[in-house]
Amino acid sequence: MSDLLTYPEVTHWAVPFFIAAILAELVWIMVKGRGGRYETRDALTSLIMGAGNVASSILLGFIAYGFFMLLWEMTPLDLGTSIGVVAICFVLDDLRYYWVHRFGHRIRWVWASHVNHHSSQHYNLTTALRQTWTGTFTFMMIVRAPLILLGFHPAMVLFCGGLNLIYQFWIHTEAIGKMPRWFEAVMNTPSHHRVHHGRNPRYLDANYAGVFIIWDKMFGTFVPEQETEKVDFGLVRNLGTFNPIRVAFHEWVGIFRDVLQPGINWRDRLMYAVAPPGWSHDGSRDTSEQIKRKHLASHPEDSGTPGFGDSAR
Amino acid sequence: MPLTILLPMVIVGIAGIVLLLHVFGLSRAARLENEASARAAWLREFPDEVPERVIICRSGSAALVQLTAGFGVVWPMGADTTARHLTGARVSRTGGGVAIDLPDYTAPRIHLALDPQETADWSRLIEGST
Repeated sequence: MSDLLTYPEVTHWAVPFFIAAILAELVWIMVKGRGGRYETRDALTSLIMGAGNVASSILLGFIAYGFFMLLWEMTPLDLGTSIGVVAICFVLDDLRYYWVHRFGHRIRWVWASHVNHHSSQHYNLTTALRQTWTGTFTFMMIVRAPLILLGFHPAMVLFCGGLNLIYQFWIHTEAIGKMPRWFEAVMNTPSHHRVHHGRNPRYLDANYAGVFIIWDKMFGTFVPEQETEKVDFGLVRNLGTFNPIRVAFHEWVGIFRDVLQPGINWRDRLMYAVAPPGWSHDGSRDTSEQIKRKHLASHPEDSGTPGFGDSAR
Repeated sequence: MPLTILLPMVIVGIAGIVLLLHVFGLSRAARLENEASARAAWLREFPDEVPERVIICRSGSAALVQLTAGFGVVWPMGADTTARHLTGARVSRTGGGVAIDLPDYTAPRIHLALDPQETADWSRLIEGST
């Protein structure tokens, strides 16, 4: 197969659709008086983060692509470009997305890149575009290596990744309650993804899916949205700035400050970079497990309910 | 998509959406209506630290929270709120209130709109606590 295989840059071509959908959601909310919230500076920050993400992918995309092409030259396998292969690639890349996303919440080095996506206290279609500028530095492109080595062309893998991101755009809304049952059972939906953006102890570290919610059900991270507990959007500790530079880099700054502080040993320095967010050498901060444990200490009635040890309920 | 199309579309799109939001009146900052709402806003960020006393400024745009050790502040982030401890804070008076500088990359400078009497009182309380 030619190394020069190309697919459309789907995320760029989707920009007009993104703009139109945001306007439609906004008008819907204003007319109906329900279905979500918008705020000017919050939305502006989200949109600038989205534009910055596109700029960063144009400027730094060659690093990941170069790595993938290197792998492509190494592998003896070539699965071709049939529709069936693209479909399989899409599903496997979604599995890849699940794990990268899970790492993004459980490894602080990767969280430093992903945190900005969760930094809005709103949940609307502009939140979908609040994307990272620093994804390249997480080195999570490594998780795509098996796909390339299995014989999926790098251009196809990136095309499927782009489609995956476009799918995820529409689920960032409060305007849609629940989809039909069969759809909620298989696909990631606004309801499932609202849970993922929740800062409530119950909803922390849940629903990492991109397109198919089945991965969360398979790997034990699925928590259904509870009618009795409205999702509180944002970070455990919400930002005090709309400055996109600070939004993009604040966790990186936090890591470097923690790692370079005097009086701790090398293991602690490493842990500040790779342990789950909230880890601290002196126990002065809380990880999501500790937050859940504290919640259960004051609300024992929640024990065993979804998000607190029994995701099947 | 060529950059010559993508770039203008992104710029016009962002500007248009932001303008529309502002025209729709969606730039209004959150207000702390009463002590209970200020207390709830503080506890939303620091659920383990129950305030001993809450002082809301007359405009409802901020609250000073007295804790077992030191003070904290609650202020609007757009239509929502956030809060921080005032450990290591430096206070300076501005034309319309005070500016609080924090050693915190995520909230480096907080502007609070206060009347002259509140400016004096809050400056004294914050300076006395740090």
